[in-house]
Amino acid sequence: MTDTKRTISRVREHKWFTPWLLVAPATLWLCVFNLYPAMNTVYMAFTNKKPLGGGEFVGLANFERMLDDDQLLYALTNSVLYMLVCVPLLTMLPLLLAVLVEKKLPGLTFLRVAFYTPVVASAVVVALIWNWMLDDRGAINAILQALKVVQEPLPFLTDRWLLLFSAISLTVWKGLGYYMIIYLSALGNVGRELHEAAAVDGAGPVRRFWSITVPGVRGTMLLITILITVSSLRVFSELFVMTGGTGGPGGRVSSVVMLIQMYSTGFTGHLGYASALSLLLFVLTLVPMVLLARLNRKDA
Amino acid sequence: MSARRLVGVAAGLAMGLTAMTGCGAGDEPSAGDLGGKIEGKVSIQTWALKPKFTDYVEGVIADFEKENPGVEVTWLDQPGDGYDQKVLTQASSGDLPDVTNLPPDFALPLAQQDQLLDLEDADVDLEKTYVEGGLQGYRYDGLDGTYGYPWYLGTDVNYWNKDMLTKNGLDPANLPTDLDSLIEQARTLKEKSGGKVYLMTRKPGLNDLQQADVPIFDEDGTELTFNTPEAVELVQKYADAYADGLLPKDILTDTFQGNAELYNQEKAAWTTGSANISGLEEANPALAKGTEISAAFGDGPLYVQGLSVNAKSKNLAAANALAQFVTNPDNQREFAKLAPGVYPSTIASQEDPYFTEDDGSVAAKAKVTGLKTLTTAIPNNPKVSPAMSTIIDQQIALAISGDATPQEALDKAVEECNKLLTQ
Repeated sequence: MTDTKRTISRVREHKWFTPWLLVAPATLWLCVFNLYPAMNTVYMAFTNKKPLGGGEFVGLANFERMLDDDQLLYALTNSVLYMLVCVPLLTMLPLLLAVLVEKKLPGLTFLRVAFYTPVVASAVVVALIWNWMLDDRGAINAILQALKVVQEPLPFLTDRWLLLFSAISLTVWKGLGYYMIIYLSALGNVGRELHEAAAVDGAGPVRRFWSITVPGVRGTMLLITILITVSSLRVFSELFVMTGGTGGPGGRVSSVVMLIQMYSTGFTGHLGYASALSLLLFVLTLVPMVLLARLNRKDA
Repeated sequence: MSARRLVGVAAGLAMGLTAMTGCGAGDEPSAGDLGGKIEGKVSIQTWALKPKFTDYVEGVIADFEKENPGVEVTWLDQPGDGYDQKVLTQASSGDLPDVTNLPPDFALPLAQQDQLLDLEDADVDLEKTYVEGGLQGYRYDGLDGTYGYPWYLGTDVNYWNKDMLTKNGLDPANLPTDLDSLIEQARTLKEKSGGKVYLMTRKPGLNDLQQADVPIFDEDGTELTFNTPEAVELVQKYADAYADGLLPKDILTDTFQGNAELYNQEKAAWTTGSANISGLEEANPALAKGTEISAAFGDGPLYVQGLSVNAKSKNLAAANALAQFVTNPDNQREFAKLAPGVYPSTIASQEDPYFTEDDGSVAAKAKVTGLKTLTTAIPNNPKVSPAMSTIIDQQIALAISGDATPQEALDKAVEECNKLLTQ
């Protein structure tokens, strides 16, 4: 009997449950830390559960309360705006950067590292640095005032819209390097001969970008769009740190995750309502993902 | 492509699912007898006392064990961060230590769940042993009894930068004593300094309303009622001061450095802080020497820490005796001497010369001023949850920014907080 035959024979000797044993640790982990909490959350969304006590079934009361929650309306508006601004910017800008740094030119390694550095920095630390730059007496206002662009400091950290767009800018700046790396790997699969053939046919760089590069990374672009959509709807760190955990004046710069955090914290946390908000966020996250997946299937 | 979609959907599901949380409950042990023999094993849990006070706590425990042969005490000390979550986990799984350091707002939900011993059942004259403010912290509207032995107390005093006041046309001998005089002097400071430094660097909170005698709750403690004309007037004063540039713009979102930090950096001439000035002495020794101390405005805030006894303790008698021993006048006096800015909650310790003697130093003045404030200071209402505090803070910020009138903002805060109270 050859070595190969002996190996096949050993494989065939394994019991039927061997594959199950192999996946058991991961399955157990998933059940205990993901599936059970998720099912428990669905259950709690229909109760008045508190950290200590409560837990009576209240039907749809938590969901009815959402209809009368101004803060949730602000949070949803902010999340949708976040998504609408972040998705196009973070889908296109990293691609342009990837095309730029893909070229073999001197000094580009420095640029690659520079673009990627914000990704490895902690979101909280980065948000704090941005706070110092954007505050009333921070560097940005000092420069704007020195250049006589503005007379009074701009309220980057107190005005609802400026605060929201400051946080969006931070997210975009921090995400550029991450998505650039994903695009870089995808660009490696776009045939160079296509670009050469198009160039011979007289296509310029812009035409080649839209007709060759973009279709070539379309799958990656969809994946990135889904990732950004999900992370935009679930934004927390940037808004939390930039509003000092307050959600801004009137709570108008909150996100849904910030509301979940607010309602679930402490001895008297409203876990029932926080669970209902989690469920809403879960559904909201699924909708654009399913739509994008369907769109992709139609185009395929 | 379908595999990628599947991965995407699975990743989204996993991310969504991990956003959701849960909790459970455990078995309850059977309780011991309060009048039983003081013996057996008992546990005591403190909050962030290691390593600074390790020797002190171990000494107190050794004394207790010596006084009560047959008792074995286990000391648990939890880190400062996440203590509420730790206690919640212990309470929901039935693992609460026999004696636990709980501030009044932590003790309230545990008392409501019958997890804490009502000290009215214990063999101690609470009124004759502990100061009124301390006991008040553990007596709750709508719930009979007292649910914690007051341990150490704290309050705030005012810190003033004498040099900065003098340079900007103000007199350190004529310090503000209320909000009106504070705003008036803040205006002078702004004008004289050209807006380079501030006097006021924080927005008001529920504590300020309480100091202004605004009733936070109704008499039954079942409804919040702080949207009174007095509260509206107070918030309006801050809104006007903010509009006049007397406060830093970024106070609205608390992203500014904080009034204590601005004071330490000599960017603000006033802050409030504990009666322990060692932090300032470390950060800016010259400023510490040039600081004038005055009593907090109004009655002053009262910060209470106490020891509660687990009602389900298997050694209830020993647990109760241990809590009483740790909070007795001698032990509290020694602890307060080791921890500047902290005061004993026992009546017998109040006359101790250590707390009343003023050697003329800034530190001694802060200590003596704080002690005087303790006689009038009011503890915060423990029924105000973190979510309520956030909502109140948001609405006050909105009123100060001018995007809502103080009346609208306070009405909204009361409405939203009352919704939380009934749910």
